[in-house]
Amino acid sequence: MIQHLVDGILVGSFLSLGAIGLTMVMHILRFANFSHAELLSIGAYCALVFDKLFESLSPFLAAKIGPLSMTAALALSILVSMALTGLSAVVIDRLVFRRVREKGGELSMVFASFGMSLVIRNVIGLIFGLSSELYSRDIAFAMVISRDPLLLVKPDQVFVLIAALLIMFALYLVLSRTRFGFALRAIAENPNLAQVHGVNLKRMIVAVWLIGGSLGAIAGVFYGLSYQITPVMGRDLVLPIFAATIVGGIGSVYGAVLGGFIVGVASNLALVILPSGYSPSVPFLMILLVLLIRPNGLFGEARA
Amino acid sequence: MKKLLTLAAFAAGMSGLSVSAHAQDCTTKVGAVLPTSVDWGRPIAEVAQFAVDQVNEAGGAAGCKIEMVLRDTQVDPKVGVDAAKALVDLEGVNVLLGAVSSGVSMPILTSVTAPGGVMQMSCCSSSTAFTKLSEEGKTNGLWFRTFATTAVQSAMGAKVASDKGYKSVAILYKNDDWGQDMARLIAADFAAAGIEVTGSVAINDAQPSYRAEVTEALGGSPDAIYLALYPNEGTSAVREWISLGGTQNMILANSLKSDEFRDNVGLQYLENALGTDTASPRVASADAFKAAYVEKFGSEPNGPGLANSFDAAMIALLAMEAAGANASGADIAAAVAKVTDPDGAPITADVAGVTAAKETLAGGGTVKYQGATGDVRFDANGDVSAPAVIWKFTDSGTDEVEYLSLGEVDAFIASLKK
Repeated sequence: MIQHLVDGILVGSFLSLGAIGLTMVMHILRFANFSHAELLSIGAYCALVFDKLFESLSPFLAAKIGPLSMTAALALSILVSMALTGLSAVVIDRLVFRRVREKGGELSMVFASFGMSLVIRNVIGLIFGLSSELYSRDIAFAMVISRDPLLLVKPDQVFVLIAALLIMFALYLVLSRTRFGFALRAIAENPNLAQVHGVNLKRMIVAVWLIGGSLGAIAGVFYGLSYQITPVMGRDLVLPIFAATIVGGIGSVYGAVLGGFIVGVASNLALVILPSGYSPSVPFLMILLVLLIRPNGLFGEARA
Repeated sequence: MKKLLTLAAFAAGMSGLSVSAHAQDCTTKVGAVLPTSVDWGRPIAEVAQFAVDQVNEAGGAAGCKIEMVLRDTQVDPKVGVDAAKALVDLEGVNVLLGAVSSGVSMPILTSVTAPGGVMQMSCCSSSTAFTKLSEEGKTNGLWFRTFATTAVQSAMGAKVASDKGYKSVAILYKNDDWGQDMARLIAADFAAAGIEVTGSVAINDAQPSYRAEVTEALGGSPDAIYLALYPNEGTSAVREWISLGGTQNMILANSLKSDEFRDNVGLQYLENALGTDTASPRVASADAFKAAYVEKFGSEPNGPGLANSFDAAMIALLAMEAAGANASGADIAAAVAKVTDPDGAPITADVAGVTAAKETLAGGGTVKYQGATGDVRFDANGDVSAPAVIWKFTDSGTDEVEYLSLGEVDAFIASLKK
């Protein structure tokens, strides 16, 4: 029971990171971006490439940091991958979403994002092959926190959780304490009014994609570090991330953080009552339940 | 009255006459519904015809030449059922060979052959749904197949566990038809072997994390873990399992016989992992079939189901011989036991063998058919078993640890059923 709870929190940490980017895009650009989870794949594969590159450049970088299976090379490649994934999000917006946004309706955007996710997934499959990849083939053993009740935690997971929380805190500071943060929130609130007040909408959209992409990249790498990297990881993650976003309330960054943890914990705890064959249904049940009680999500506000 | 007697005598005389006449120029039709329109299906049909040719060379079956009427199923249940219906209703066959896919064989069995009293012998359907149907008495004893079910694989899993002395085992299985089937079978086999199953957990593919499932399986602290998974989710689940301190005593289904799985989990963690698989028989009769096949078709019988298709046709025709002239489908099905009798006179699967079988059967004896898949023996549900191998991972692939002949596999399965 406690093990399931702890596992859920750990799973929730990268769902939250993914959901933050998604909720911002959904709120500001007003469309359900089904290709958002593919940014996690792009991030994970980017980091994989640079990880191998840095490791071959310097054996010093290939050494593991403490008990983690994380290396200095991987830490560096996360930074590179954040930048590249953010950029690819911007490029995808330029090439596809902006054009559709100018001509088509909300539904066209949703379909465009569906198409985009298939394209990204298959391009990754073409380049890297369909079999799964790992940052490190060694298996990091879990530490026994307590014997009774049995509680096991992997050092990597603790690291992922702490890093995720730190990143979220940093984002909170940016959104609540800086001019840029106010501008971003103003755009989300009312794009027209914000523009009247001198906020550059186009620049803000680029910023949203950069933030969403780089958070997605971190989530992707953390996911790869905890499990494995496959071309279809975006497909596997899109529903839990959407569930986290909807549960938290679209547009609410804090809601997305909480939503990620709720979905993670709920999926894990569900196994205590449900046979594991039904576990994929849990995120959907969460969405239904929250929408029945609070139609705009836990932190969402009604919007015309 | 006198007139009637004369008539009866006349009729008896005629029927006696007709028997001897049949041997010369009559033809009995058997049906075959096989996916000839797909590239791997045609050789299966050709090798069945090869068996028919050999029986004809030895004088046919039950006094008549055999003609195999072949229809295409296109691997489509609807097409298959139509084809089977046409063969049974229009051509009047009592024996139907096929189909290949379980999904095609099943509707043919339930809607054509079982209600129509026609014996059906499939070369290649492996689903245990047929076993269940037979246990429920719905096949009327008319169903046979020469392809081993997943039951062999699961029994071997139990054998590995008991040989290794594992007292308790947890099961992780893929949440699809095959995986559920395996999980059900292996749990029963473990129980029969006196091994405790501490938990049986379904693994859905395309899940972001298997941590919860693995934690669930870890709960019973088993001696070993049985994995009926595919490489992709298998890698994820097993890495999680090992990192959480789960035992490295693993038993693997043949689906994990993959380099991807070995590389991504790491050979150092798979030293105590043993896999199971079915194998082709290593007996003289199988080699003889191979040689005959190469001579006839100019290539090795490497496609799926070829040896099984040959044996299916051969056994069906031998059973027709054993059942005698004008036998119904049920009679022929009942006669299958006479030609696959383990205590019978051994015969080979060629012209000489068929000739020898005819003599033995005419004399009231039974024969033991030794064919392309070894000594075929059906259980009460028309299922066969197959030889098996136990394997482990090595640097370059997999190595065979143990080979179990058909007899050894059968003996072990029988010991589980006690």
